[in-house]
Amino acid sequence: MYGWLRGITLPAIVMSLLWISSFAAEAAAQTEGLEAGRPVSGLHTGAHGVLLLTDAKGQAVQEEGEEDALGPDPWADETESFDTIPDPLEPMNRAFFEFNDKMYFYVLKPLGTGYKMVVPEVGRICIRNFFTNLIMPIRAISCLLQGKFEGFGIELVRCMVNTTAGFLGFQDVAREALRFQIQDEDLGQVFAFYGMGPGCYLNLPFLGPSSLRDTAGWVGGLYLNPLDYMVDDFWPNVGFRTFDTLNKVSMRIGEYESIKKAALDPYVAMRDAYGQYRLNQTEN
Amino acid sequence: MIYGFLRRGVFTLLILLAAGSVCPAGEPTELIRKATDRVIAILNDPSLKGPDKTEEKVRKIREAVDKRFAWEEISKRTLARYWKERTPAERAEFIKLFGKLLERTYLDKVKEGYSGEKVLYVDEKVEGRYGRVRVMIVTKQNTEIPVEYRMLKKGDNWLIYDISIEGVSLVNNYRKQFSHILSRSSYSELLERLRAKVEGTETID
Repeated sequence: MYGWLRGITLPAIVMSLLWISSFAAEAAAQTEGLEAGRPVSGLHTGAHGVLLLTDAKGQAVQEEGEEDALGPDPWADETESFDTIPDPLEPMNRAFFEFNDKMYFYVLKPLGTGYKMVVPEVGRICIRNFFTNLIMPIRAISCLLQGKFEGFGIELVRCMVNTTAGFLGFQDVAREALRFQIQDEDLGQVFAFYGMGPGCYLNLPFLGPSSLRDTAGWVGGLYLNPLDYMVDDFWPNVGFRTFDTLNKVSMRIGEYESIKKAALDPYVAMRDAYGQYRLNQTEN
Repeated sequence: MIYGFLRRGVFTLLILLAAGSVCPAGEPTELIRKATDRVIAILNDPSLKGPDKTEEKVRKIREAVDKRFAWEEISKRTLARYWKERTPAERAEFIKLFGKLLERTYLDKVKEGYSGEKVLYVDEKVEGRYGRVRVMIVTKQNTEIPVEYRMLKKGDNWLIYDISIEGVSLVNNYRKQFSHILSRSSYSELLERLRAKVEGTETID
């Protein structure tokens, strides 16, 4: 049965939605109220849990008096002076952040470092290409649902070319030869396209920074991931996913460390970076 | 998927750049290009290879890069409304400390050396005193990282007051962190944390 992951995650999402709706109001009052200079009107967004999925910009309340010190900035997004993403569940998110942090340093990093020493970079790039090619349906459908027909076409052609001429996707010949770039679209961006805000910030165990909207998009993506249809059984499926993750980690060792080193509050730094990054993605 | 968005390694920017495509460019782009090429030249300088030369290399890069940044402007924008509450002496101290933090973070990257990243200069826009230069960094693993330099004209000079990597603005990111700390504790606590960072006394893992 291929649906094991969905079987686990869907109830989890539903439960977290319920859980959030009961706690969000209180938590929001605590955390957001502390953000000095933020008028209380920001609170109503946290109070309805599921209804958090409203307009992204609607929830932002400008920090008072900031403009005086800043001066104009023609290149800044109008939203940049706002909170990029509300975080009523900060205590839970911080706990998972710590968990992921430990996971990285005690498990993923040592494994990734060992793997990196054994498998040459060329091989790791090929493996990355293979998994990227495999999840083409997520990107293609996400393009289609946003009316990005050119992107949809590009993804289809990319997949056809790479699966054949690119040896099952191990080579990204579509990019190298045809200059067909990967269309970085996912279901979270589709939801944003139809006006849904990020909801609230979530830092999920194993998965890292996300939002309510993007987590829903991730779960939807499980239905579009051919891996779950091709590899039905639980452990082989987990095996493939772990391998994909390990391969990716091996190419990024040191990046998390740099961010942590540069940050005064790594949790806040990551949260804001995620918020800004997704905002930028959904605007394109 | 874990920390997938982290790929834009935050401070790799100024250090990891190589000369790129030819496009019509104005003054801001030329200044970025010059600083970039200078850094690459230092990183590739055979007389500066080897661990005993790291100190010298770091010093040279600092000289090349330091004068391109509007340190006061960056500090002002990251402290935002808290800037007004600071005395001139406190401001000077903050500029120095924060500058050191950024410096220390990106100069750490220098020690790893240059690994063949390419830079394509995408476009430039100038509006009065403000300028914006967009570049695309292409890593050896063929990952493209869009970077935007935001610049301000001071006298005859264009200075960087913010860098945005894949849509993540450095100034905004620090502003969120600073305001988070300041709204929950005090300015002296913020300074203490900054000092601990700069001195590198804390452990990462």
